[in-house]
Amino acid sequence: MNDPYQILGIPESASDDEVKKAYRDLARKYHPDNYHDNPLADLAQEKMKDINAAYEQITKMRSGGRPGGTGSAYSGGYSGYGGGYSASGSSVLQQVRIAIQSGNISRAEALLANYSDHNAEWNFLRGAVCYRRGWMDEAKRYYQTACQMEPGNPEYRHALEFMENGTRSAYQPGGGVFGTEQCAPNLCLPLCCAYSLLSSGGWIFCC
Amino acid sequence: MLSEEDAVRFRSMYCGLCHTLGSRYGAAARMILNYDFTYLAIFLSEAGKEDVRHRRCIVHPVHPRPYLPTNDALALAADESVILTYWQLRDGVTDHDWLHGLKYRSLSAVLEPAYRKAAALRPAFDRVVRQQLDVLSKLEAQQCSSIDEAADAFAKLLEYAADEIADPVRRRVLRQMLYHLGRWIYLIDAADDLKEDAVSGNYNPVLLRFELTDGVWTSEARREFTATLDHSIHMVTTAFELWDFGVWTPLLSNTLYTSLFQAGKSVLDGTFQKSAVRKRIKEPS
Repeated sequence: MNDPYQILGIPESASDDEVKKAYRDLARKYHPDNYHDNPLADLAQEKMKDINAAYEQITKMRSGGRPGGTGSAYSGGYSGYGGGYSASGSSVLQQVRIAIQSGNISRAEALLANYSDHNAEWNFLRGAVCYRRGWMDEAKRYYQTACQMEPGNPEYRHALEFMENGTRSAYQPGGGVFGTEQCAPNLCLPLCCAYSLLSSGGWIFCC
Repeated sequence: MLSEEDAVRFRSMYCGLCHTLGSRYGAAARMILNYDFTYLAIFLSEAGKEDVRHRRCIVHPVHPRPYLPTNDALALAADESVILTYWQLRDGVTDHDWLHGLKYRSLSAVLEPAYRKAAALRPAFDRVVRQQLDVLSKLEAQQCSSIDEAADAFAKLLEYAADEIADPVRRRVLRQMLYHLGRWIYLIDAADDLKEDAVSGNYNPVLLRFELTDGVWTSEARREFTATLDHSIHMVTTAFELWDFGVWTPLLSNTLYTSLFQAGKSVLDGTFQKSAVRKRIKEPS
C-alpha cells in the first residue's frame, strides 16, 4: 500500500484541516464532473479511488480506528459513470449508447452512419461521438439540433448546456475561474509560444 | 506567474534542444529552434532524469548557460522538429508563387540533408506528417468550413508525436494533450489571421465557419469560438493531471491553466505580439 500522505501530497505532520483541504482539492480535480464524457475518465476514476482510500486511511488512523473522524470521503462518485444515459427508443441506438459507454467510438459511429432516421436521439448520440473525438464545435451543433427537435428532453438540454458553459466550472488550481474570457487582462505576456508552430513566416529566424 | 526557477528550467530545455539539434544535424538545423518544440521536448521528457550542465555557445559566448544534455526525449523532439519544420517549409513552397516561395525553397533546401536523416530515423512520424498535411491541403482546396475537421488534420499530426512513448498510460495522456493542444494551436492561428485572410481570400476555416466576411468577430461568434477553445484546453488540463510531470509540473501547470487562456484572449482582442512573448523568455533577467 502506498503512503496515504504521499498520495494526498502532504507531510505526516499536516493538521487535520490541512489533510481535509488537500483531500478536497484533489477530489475536486479528479471529480467525475471534471471528467464528464472524457476519454480518460477511467484513469481519473483510478486516481479518485486512491485519493478516497488514502483519505479514509488517514482519518481512521487519526481517530484511533474509530469510524467518523474528520469527515467521510466522497463516495461512489464514479459508480454511475456514463450511466447518465437514459434508455433508448430503438435497439440500434441502444447499441450506440453501449458502444459509447465502453469507449468503442468507431463502432458507435458506424452504427449511426447506417441508421437512416435522423431523429433527436440520433443527433444527440452523434454529438456525443463528436465530443469524444474532440470535435467540440460539431458536438455542440448536433446537441443543438437534438434540442430543437425535442425541446423538453433534459438529457439533450444538459449536453447542450455543458457545451456552452460547462468548462466554467472546470477545475482550476487555486479555485480561479476556467476560461479564455475569464482571465485577467495581462500586462505581461505569458510563457506561451506554443502557437507560433503554424506561422511559418515569423519565427524561423528568431534564434 | 512563472517563477525564476521555472524560467531557468525552461531555458535549460531550450538550450538543450538547440545543442541536440546542432550535434545531430549540424549548425544550420539550430535555426528551427522555437518554444513550441521546447514544449514538445518537455512533454516527451521523463521527469526525474534532468541533469543540468553549463556551457557557452555562439549566442551566449561569455556566460555559460544551463542546458540539458541529449537524451532519448530530446533526440526524439529534435528529430520530430526537423520533420515538422521541413514539411511546413515545403508547404510554404506550394502555397506561394515562384517569387514569394523563394524563401521557403531556399530554407527547405538548407534543411534537406537534416530532413533526410530525421525521416530515416522516424519513418512512421514522417509518413503521418506528410499524410496529415495532405489532408489539410485537400480540405483547403474544398474550402472546408468545419473548424473541427480542419483542426483535426493538424491535431492528429501532433498527437502522433507521442506515439513512440512506451508506457501505455503515459502515451494515452500525452496523445490527448497533444491532440487538443494541436487543435487549439490550429484554431488560434486561424483566428490570428482572420483580417488578413478576409482581405487576401486565403483559406481560413474560422472565417468560413462563422461567416465573418470582413474578419471582425461578432459577439455571438466569439462566444461560440471561445467555448470550443475552452473545451480543448479542458481536455488538455484534465489529461495533464493524470500523469506526473515531476519538476516540469509547475511550469506546465502555469502554461496550461493560465498562459493558453491569456494568449487566446490577446489573439481575439487583437493584441497578441509573438515577438514580445519571445523576448520575455530569451532574455534572462
